[in-house]
Amino acid sequence: MKPELDGIFQKFPNRQREDLIPLLQQIQDDFGYLSNQIITGVGEYLGISVNKIYGVATFYDNFRFGPVGRYHIRVCHGTACHVAGTSTILQELEKQLRIKPGETDKEGLFSLEVVSCIGACGLAPLVEINEEYFTHLNLEKIKDLLAGFREKEQDTYES
Amino acid sequence: MDFKIEVNNNLISVHEGETLLSALWRNGFKVPTLCHMNHFSPTGACRLCAVEVEGKRDLITSCSYPVEKNMKVKTNSPRVIKARKALVELLLSNHPDDCLYCQRNGNCELQWLAEEMNVKERKFFGEKNPDYPDHSSTSVFRDPGKCVLCSRCVRMCEEVQKVTAIDFISRANQTKVNSAFHKGLNVSSCINCGQCIMVCPTAALLDISHIEKVQAALDSGKKEVLFFISPSTAASVAEQVGIKSQQDIAGIINAALKKCGADKVFNLGFACDINVLEESAILNDHMAKNLAMPLLSSCCPAWVQYVEEFRPEWLPFLAPSKSPQQIMGTLLKTHYSEKQKLNPAGVFSVAVMPCVGKKFEASREEMTRQGISGVDAVLTVRELFRFLRTFGIDLKSLAPLQVDEPFEKASAAAWKMGYSGGKAEAVALELYKMNNKGSQDGFKFSVSKNLAGKKETKIKSGKQQFGFAWTSGIEEADSYLQQIIEDNRTDIHYVEVMGCPGGCAGGGGQPISRNPEKPKNRKRLCQEMEKNAHFLSAGENLAVMDLYMGKDAAPGSEKTGEWYHTHFRKREVLK
Ligand code: SF4
Ligand code: SF4
Ligand code: FES
Ligand code: FES
Repeated sequence: MKPELDGIFQKFPNRQREDLIPLLQQIQDDFGYLSNQIITGVGEYLGISVNKIYGVATFYDNFRFGPVGRYHIRVCHGTACHVAGTSTILQELEKQLRIKPGETDKEGLFSLEVVSCIGACGLAPLVEINEEYFTHLNLEKIKDLLAGFREKEQDTYES
Repeated sequence: MDFKIEVNNNLISVHEGETLLSALWRNGFKVPTLCHMNHFSPTGACRLCAVEVEGKRDLITSCSYPVEKNMKVKTNSPRVIKARKALVELLLSNHPDDCLYCQRNGNCELQWLAEEMNVKERKFFGEKNPDYPDHSSTSVFRDPGKCVLCSRCVRMCEEVQKVTAIDFISRANQTKVNSAFHKGLNVSSCINCGQCIMVCPTAALLDISHIEKVQAALDSGKKEVLFFISPSTAASVAEQVGIKSQQDIAGIINAALKKCGADKVFNLGFACDINVLEESAILNDHMAKNLAMPLLSSCCPAWVQYVEEFRPEWLPFLAPSKSPQQIMGTLLKTHYSEKQKLNPAGVFSVAVMPCVGKKFEASREEMTRQGISGVDAVLTVRELFRFLRTFGIDLKSLAPLQVDEPFEKASAAAWKMGYSGGKAEAVALELYKMNNKGSQDGFKFSVSKNLAGKKETKIKSGKQQFGFAWTSGIEEADSYLQQIIEDNRTDIHYVEVMGCPGGCAGGGGQPISRNPEKPKNRKRLCQEMEKNAHFLSAGENLAVMDLYMGKDAAPGSEKTGEWYHTHFRKREVLK
């Protein structure tokens, strides 16, 4: 087991079932995602079946099971954004990228996440990509955005 | 205390503290259920058991609601019926609808519900479950597309079997039953007990079928196809077909299989006798040499796999004997092949068992010799019926045909292995005889329970006293053994462990039914049949003793070790 993980475990010395979610949360914060190996390690530490842990972790939207892509797209699903139409935007993203929230595409280029209100409701609907806001979105703009990212990647690749 | 409640304008008497569902059922009111399981805590997940209670705004789920004084209940009001029908229609919204090609056609709770609710067309169209069927296991096949998320398998696997190989993954309309990381059952901690198959209402869980392999071997015309039937299989057949236990059931199955092209059909009871003799000799040896105690039976593959995965520290306690199935497989590919001048590679051996775990057992690498496995195919009782049906065979109309030599006879011990507690008794008897100059006079095996309600008994032989115990269902077995080992109990010498609740009578390869009486009934049949067994005890089986003599060996000896002994090892799995 990675030594960093041991450090996290030390914060949960009681090894109880109740520790599961906070423990997973902490790992996700530190490592960015829950790898299979880490889940297995947590299972051994808390004495809970990995199948149980995987079941619990997949129940929540905020856990990821692989590293995020180079472009990590967080779609706001707060009330204002929802009303303004982020559902269709999410649908479009899912269709174009062929991934669901929580997943990363095969190339490791894009990953998707659904988040609750980012706190910029006046600019709804919006998504956050690598900590930059893209506001007043519509389907047209989303398509352009993705095309722009892809082009940029292509260029870096070729040069 | 009992009191009365009103149901559909009738007064019925109910017990305080029971659920409304149990009261309704006992009084003959039919209420459908899907997620409900006897002896499990209710989950209220499927809502099919909904009824209307006067004064309550919403329908209530009767399976999780206790009876209350002055209750007025309607089980079939228009509102209830409409709600139930909608629920079933929703369940069907993403179903593959391939009933015609489905193994559970005619024995499917979803099909029954649709029929009962008079569902005539598809009302809702849901997204189909995108998970592929999982063929990865040696024993258990999963088709997530047919899953109705009732959670019965999940609860069985966790609460009764203590394995938790499967669980709910994700939530809302993405919810599925699966193992961690969406990996196949083969890398999960599944111990192949098949109990999940027994509780699944649909065909989402099935056997990994061996019928095709068997058929191919028969069709090849080049293979010597040898079947062997376990005693408990015979009991199930008797029960299912309604044949009297006095009849020669194995003989009837023999007659049936011969019509399908079997070359020989043997009695697995023969190898049961050997297994009992081996385990009692090993037990005697462990006691004499102060080896690990208590000795744990090892004939149940699910139990063995559980120890290998979850309790490797208990491996020294497991009796290193092969199970009856593997003893028979070995004998067929060695001794028998030699005698009959057959090339072992041309022999195809088929076990017929009440168990799906036996499929896994047959595939264990230590069960092969020079690349040839002892047992080539394992048919569960369910598969046996399916197989026979394709030949249009009606078991009831067949006259019995004596099972083939040289493995035709067995003692009462063989039948005893069909239910929990029986094997402990058979081993106790052999041990008693060993310590009583070969005589069984004065042997008494009375069932008693210790303080914790666990079944234990003591037998006396001369000055010695031996303790025997038996337990079934992995959760029960695991907690019992932990206790024994923790308490350092030296008075228990042998523990019979069966992975399935009730032993093979409740095995994961038995016919699927929601009737909880079936396993008990099969046990009773085994007990009746053992009265007509060829011999009273395993040691009296002459042909078995001849085999030992041929090798100049006694039970437990190294000389017959290559036939009768094996080893177990720690197994790394996702757990
Ligand atoms: S076969 Fe047994 S161990 Fe495997 S998933 Fe089913 S219930 Fe669990
Ligand atoms: S696999 Fe069968 S038993 Fe398990 S949840 Fe699905 S329908 Fe229920
Ligand atoms: S709802 Fe999207 S930023 Fe507030
Ligand atoms: S049977 Fe009562 S909720 Fe499923």
